[in-house]
This record gives sequence, C-alpha cells and structure tokens, in this order.
Amino acid sequence: MLRENPVLARELLVNLRSSRSFLFQLVYVALLGVVVYAAWPIEREGLTQVSAGAAQSLFELFFYGQFVLIALVAPAFAAGSISGEKERKTYELLLSSPLQPSEILIGKLLSALTYLVLLILSSLPLMLLCFLLGGILLSEIVRAYLILVLAAGTFGLISVACSAYFHRTSAALVVSYLVILPLALVVVYLTRNAAPETRDFVAIALLPPWCLAIWTMVAVVVSRRLLHPPDVGSEGRAVVDEEEEMKNAIGVIIDRDLFPDKLFAPPKRTDLMPDGTNPVLDKELRSEIFSQGTLMLRLVIQVSMLLSIPLMAIQLFFRPEWTAYYVGYVLVFNLLVGPVFSAGSITQERERKTLSLLLTTLLLPGQIVWAKLLASLRVSTVLTFLLTEQLLLAYVLIGDLQQQFWTLLIFLAIIAVTCAVTTSVGLFCSALSRRTVVAMVLTYLLLLLLFVVPIGVERFLTNFTEIGVERLSALTVTSPFAAALSVPLTVSSPDLGLTASERPAPPLVDPIGWPIWAVYLVLGPLLALALNVMTAWIFRLRWWHAGATL
Amino acid sequence: MIEVRNFTKRYGDFLAVDDLSFTIPEGEIFGFIGPNGAGKSTTIRFLATLLQPTSGSAYVCGHSVVHDPMAVRRVIGFMPDDFGVYDGMKVWEFLDFFAVAYQIPRAYRKKIIGEVLELLDLTSKRDDYVNGLSRGMKQRLCLGKTLVHNPPVLILDEPASGLDPRARVEIKSLLTELRAMKKTILISSHILSELADFCTTIGIIERGRLLAAGSIQEIQKQLRTHRVLKVGLVGEDVPRALAMLRAEPAVQHVESYDHTITCEFQGEDGDKARLLHRLIAAGVSVHTFTEVELSLEEVFMMITKGVVN
Ligand SMILES: Nc1ncnc2c1ncn2[C@@H]1O[C@H](COP(=O)(O)OP(=O)(O)O)[C@@H](O)[C@H]1O
Ligand SMILES: [Mg+2]
Repeated sequence: MLRENPVLARELLVNLRSSRSFLFQLVYVALLGVVVYAAWPIEREGLTQVSAGAAQSLFELFFYGQFVLIALVAPAFAAGSISGEKERKTYELLLSSPLQPSEILIGKLLSALTYLVLLILSSLPLMLLCFLLGGILLSEIVRAYLILVLAAGTFGLISVACSAYFHRTSAALVVSYLVILPLALVVVYLTRNAAPETRDFVAIALLPPWCLAIWTMVAVVVSRRLLHPPDVGSEGRAVVDEEEEMKNAIGVIIDRDLFPDKLFAPPKRTDLMPDGTNPVLDKELRSEIFSQGTLMLRLVIQVSMLLSIPLMAIQLFFRPEWTAYYVGYVLVFNLLVGPVFSAGSITQERERKTLSLLLTTLLLPGQIVWAKLLASLRVSTVLTFLLTEQLLLAYVLIGDLQQQFWTLLIFLAIIAVTCAVTTSVGLFCSALSRRTVVAMVLTYLLLLLLFVVPIGVERFLTNFTEIGVERLSALTVTSPFAAALSVPLTVSSPDLGLTASERPAPPLVDPIGWPIWAVYLVLGPLLALALNVMTAWIFRLRWWHAGATL
Repeated sequence: MIEVRNFTKRYGDFLAVDDLSFTIPEGEIFGFIGPNGAGKSTTIRFLATLLQPTSGSAYVCGHSVVHDPMAVRRVIGFMPDDFGVYDGMKVWEFLDFFAVAYQIPRAYRKKIIGEVLELLDLTSKRDDYVNGLSRGMKQRLCLGKTLVHNPPVLILDEPASGLDPRARVEIKSLLTELRAMKKTILISSHILSELADFCTTIGIIERGRLLAAGSIQEIQKQLRTHRVLKVGLVGEDVPRALAMLRAEPAVQHVESYDHTITCEFQGEDGDKARLLHRLIAAGVSVHTFTEVELSLEEVFMMITKGVVN
C-alpha cells in the first residue's frame, strides 16, 4: 500500500530530490563527527580502559542532542503538511481524490519523517563508537534509538494533526511546539535522573504503549476530520466575523475594550484615521493581527497561563531560589510566540497578494517595516509581560526577593530585550523568505542558534576541555537564558536553608569583566537594531525597489 | 502620457518581453490584448514601478518609472491581475487605509470615500468585511482603491477576468464612466471583444512582442494584405467567376456558397478596383462586391496566428 501511496511518492520526490537535503545530512554527520573527535578521551593508547564516565556523558550528549533536534525539527517538517495544501488551495483537490484519509495521513506523516529518521540513523555509527569505548551497554543504545524513533513518530503525528486543524501553517507550527515541549520535558525528566532499571522500564514498557495509544487516537480523529472536513469551501478559510466569533467563543475572549486586551488589541475604529497615522501600523493592530486565527491565540494564552499557575506556586512556596528558571519559562514563551507575529508579517502580504497593492502607494519601505515591527513587538511584549505578573507577586510576597528588588528590574529588562530580539529576528527572516513557513522555521533556527546552542556548546566545552569558565561565558552572551541565570540572587529556600552561597558565583565575561546579563542587555538591543536596519534594507532592495516577482 | 521605450524583460534565459515600445496619448483608453503568458502583466508591473527592466525605460506623465518611482505612484492608480484583501477589515476601512497611504488629508477622505462607494455601487456594503465580498465586488472595490487619490492615469490588469457576465457588464459600465472623467487608461485582457466597445486604441502582444498597435481601423489597415472579399453573382456566372478568381495571383482561398464567392485578397484599393473591372469586362454579372469587415475577434485570431508576419 505504501509503495503506491501517491501523496508519499510526490512529497518524497520533492523533498529528497533537492541536493540541499543531502548536503544538510552531510553537514550534520560531519558536525557529530567533530563533537566525537573533540570529546574523544585523550588516553588513546589504552582505548579499552577509558573511564566509563566519559563515554557515558558523550552518549548522553548524543541522545539528548538528537532528542531536542527531533522535538524541534519534526514540527518544522510536518506542521505544514496539510495546512500548506490549504494555503496553496490544493486541499479540496486532494480531498476529492479517491485517496483514503488514512492514506493521506500516512503519506504526509512518512514523508515528513523519512528525512528526519534518515538523519537520526546516520548518527548510528558514531553512537556505536561510544559503545566501542566501553562503559555503555548495547541495550542502552537500542533503548535510545527506540525512544528517538518513537519520539519522531509521536511529534510528527501531533504536528500533522495540528496541521489538519489549523488554516495557517504558522498556527499549526506554534501549537505543535506548545504541545510537544511539555511532552519532551516529561520524557527528558523520566529518562534522566533514574536508575537504569527505571529507564528500561520507561523505554520498553511505558513509552511504546502510550505512543501507540496516542497515535491511534490522533490518527482516528484526524482521518475523521479529513473524511468530513468542516473547513472546505471559502478556500479553507471562513470569513472572520469578529462579533459572531466572540459570541461562540469558549474560554478566553479577546475583548478589545477592556484591560489588558486593549493593550495588544486596540478597539476597532469607528471613524476615519487621523492625519499622520501610519496606516500599516493601524491596520495591523486593529484588524489583522488577530484575524489570522484567534483560536490559536486563545490556545497559546490559555496553555501558558495555565502552566504558569503551578510554576508560580512552586516558585512562591517551595523553591523561591528558582526565580531565574521561572524567568526562563517566560523567555521560552516569548521564544515560541514572539516570532508568530513578526515572521509572517511580510511574507503574508506576499502570500495573500496584497503586497503589490501596498507597494504602489506612497508609503516608504522604512514606514512599512517600522509599522510591522511596532505592531508585532507590541503584541509579543504585552503577551509576554502578562506572564511576569507571577514574578511581581513573588517579589512582593517573599522577603528575600524584596530586599533584592533591583534583580527584578534586571529580569524585566532581560525579558524586554528578548522580546525585541525575537521580534526583530522574525521580521528579518520574513523579509528574507518567500513563504511564511520558511520564515518561521528560519526564525526558530536562528533564535535557537542565538539562545540555546551557545549554552549547549558551553556545557560541552566545560565538560571536555580545559578552557576557563570566564572565557567560555563569553560564548553565551547572546542567550537570555544564560543572562537570567547569571543574575546574582541570594535566596534561602524554606527547607534547604541558604543555597546561593553553595552555588558558585556566576562567572564574569572574560575580556571586559562584566556579568553575562549586563553584556546581554547591551548586546541584545544592538543586535535588534542591526537586524532591523538590515530588514529595512533587504525589504527595500528585494521588494520595494526591485519588485522581485510578487 | 504613457510612453514605453524598448522595454525588455528576461527571466533567466526566458525572454518574457522583447523590445516593446508604444505611446498612449492623454485621454486615450488603450486596450492591451494578448493570449495568456504573452507578457501583458510583465509590462504592466513594469509600468506600475514593481519590476526592474532588463533594459528599456518608460515614462508616465513625464516621470521615469525606473528613476522616479514615487512620482509615478502618485499619478497612477494600479489594479493588479491577482490581488488579495486584508483580513478583518471593513469596506470603508479598506478605502480609508489606501487613502491614508496616499497621504490624503482627513478632511477630504470622508467625501472621497463616499463618492467612490457611490460610483462603485458599493454604498450598501460600506460596513461589510472585505473578505466576505463576492469576487465581482472585490474587483470593483479594488478598482475603487485605484481611484481614491484621483490619479490621471489608471493601469488595470485584467479587471474583468473571472467574473460572471453580469459583473463584467458592471465593470464595463464603470470603465465607461471613468472614460467620461477624462482619465488615461491602460487596460489589459486576453479577450478582445471585452475591450472593443470602449477602447480608443489597442495593442496586440504575443510572446513578448507587440504585433500591432493603433486604433482598430488602423490595425485593420495594417492587415491590408489580408482582406476578405465577398462577391455576389447572378445566375450561371458562378463557375466562370470562380475560374477567373482562382487564376488571379493576388487571390487565395476561393470558396463559393450558393451565389456568393468569398476569397482572400492581397493588394491596395486600386488593385481591388482593377479586379472588379476585369470581372465586369469578362461579362460576369456582379451584383455585390464588398470587403468583409473583420470583427475584432477575427483580427485578433489572424494576428496571433502570426498571419501578419
Ligand atoms: N517571475 C517570473 N519568473 C519566470 N517567468 C515568469 C515570471 N513572471 C512571468 N513569467 C513568464 O513570463 C511570461 C509572461 O507572463 P505575463 O506577463 O504574466 O503574461 P500575461 O500576458 O498572461 O499577463 C509567461 O510565460 C510567464 O510564464
Ligand atoms: Mg496576466
């Protein structure tokens, strides 16, 4: 059946035909090779007597690195699979073909995952090298790959399901990440600090049945939806009648007249704009930003608000010293949600064919880019700062924190700068790309490169080389997570006593001797500024002046 | 008013428009006609300052499209062939958006938006969401968008494509009103008859080349070498006339039906008169001798078949 699945055949042809994907695979394996080489234990003469610890940590690095990769890349490949058909208006053609919904689903899923699984498998020889080093059981490797493949399947299926539910790929992508991230954290938690027997139990007895159950459930639901699609017609996109939608909405309702909603969604105009208004900005804020799927926004807000309540409780009552981690949660939220608004802002004008209308007016490229930046920055900042409410509460209620009130200001500054950076990166990618999906994936990749990869590299180098912490901390100055963790907080936790003194003081960055957060607070705004100047320049060259094929 | 000089556009190796030149004087309605893929939209996007030419230049109201795009944007109203509308916007907001984008002061905007809605017959839709409008209404709304800054030149790319007959008629009557407003209009279509009624001049483009340009009469004159004659005869003269005509070197494709002969004739008016003279001198009783007025569609078909070359 699979060999005759035309959906799979077409997608695979398009995906694997490009030499780019092959190149990417090559680079990936080369990168892994470099990691192994760098981490290869020094005592090469006595290969067999290598400490089990080194091999173990190399193995874990591989496993978690690939696990994170899957969690990030699976949605990028799969979240566009069905919503992309809707956007290209080929959805109805596909559904009206004699293909079974299950065939469509399987075709989409496999085509999205084939490449990813190929990537994972290409790392197998290097993993086996770790096995040769000793200290790792073959069963551990088998277990690791079992988890990786299960994760790829589950995350891919979740993304395809989101893709079937949303009209826009960007919405599908963000919701996929929101669902997958907690799942991934749970798996990491279950496999990390546990005895080998527990790990085996989790990997062999717990995960597979759970995954199968999730797969079946999701597959049935999605197939049903494909069989009787409620979103066909009007080109897969119903006319948004906001008033009507609000009446039917369950859960959070965006009420444009009330605080705090009016901060990010100002009320609609009842009369003409005043003179001197930037029309693009006005349009974005009052009409457009929420029309692209209020459903998604509600989901995002609800999920993160819901999550923030237990997190706040933990922070307030059990672990006040974890304040920096709560800030990290707010930053992750911004990392996920910030690009949604900016990464589509230019590509969507093109995709919806309004760009040529906009470009033939008297608006200057700077005005257009500025309006896009302000609108998306405003929404992303307001939504993110809604989550800092808990932080403020902690600083009011907890005595230790009260006395170090200035650290709150640093945290808030870090969050604000991060909002600016995520939005700017999104806008930059939007000016570079032709499609919103591409822009979003590119944005997430760039942000990971700035925010997360440096921390991984730093950890790796700390474990496997002798370079000093000050030198290494210079690597992480682009990461708000590193910045938040470097803020010096002395808090006693109710049951553990004073912990901060036991923690080593955060290192100062090598050449200038500043703490990481200070460097980040200087570097972040400069980066955002540079990105926006480049965005305006690219937009001018690419769209406004050259009018590249619209 | 609009002048295109040696415009050439290549996409990679593909020559989309080849050395195109034409002029449209003030107040004219220029119909730009050609089959799909002929290069109409490419030329129009160039004129609308959205495309860099491979070579060549163009001027609208004396402003260079390449060097002074802002000045050109000020004087043109542009309607692309394939356009979208914004989500969550009402009809009046849509017009207000573009009016602000064209820097029209608020004091005028109210009046202008009212007038445009009136002209487009969309007053009753003022508070509807734009993405809920039917296709025909969207086209009209976009046409309205091109009018908010009252430009002297309108550049419309296939404004009536994909519409049902009624919506077509509505667009046509709108264009007739615009002509009465003394606007210079460039309008493209792949259907000739759509433009025939109200265009003062037409240009026919195929595979990136302008095959003919001018008034419809002029274009027919350019086709002088391919005139179709209709000869009506009395009684038994038909076979003799057929034989005579077939022997003429300037006459081809002779066909007879009942007592009427049609044939293609190459030559000037004088040659035509001499042919008639010879027929009569040979004693053929001719009662009708006329040149068939080719319909625009037939002209179009002949030209785009490459008959001219
Ligand atoms: N961006 C592009 N890249 C490559 N070829 C293009 C591009 N835009 C148009 N073309 C080609 O140029 C030719 C003319 O297109 P166009 O001007 O849109 O024709 P039409 O007369 O139907 O409006 C077509 O063959 C089309 O395929
Ligand atoms: Mg066209």
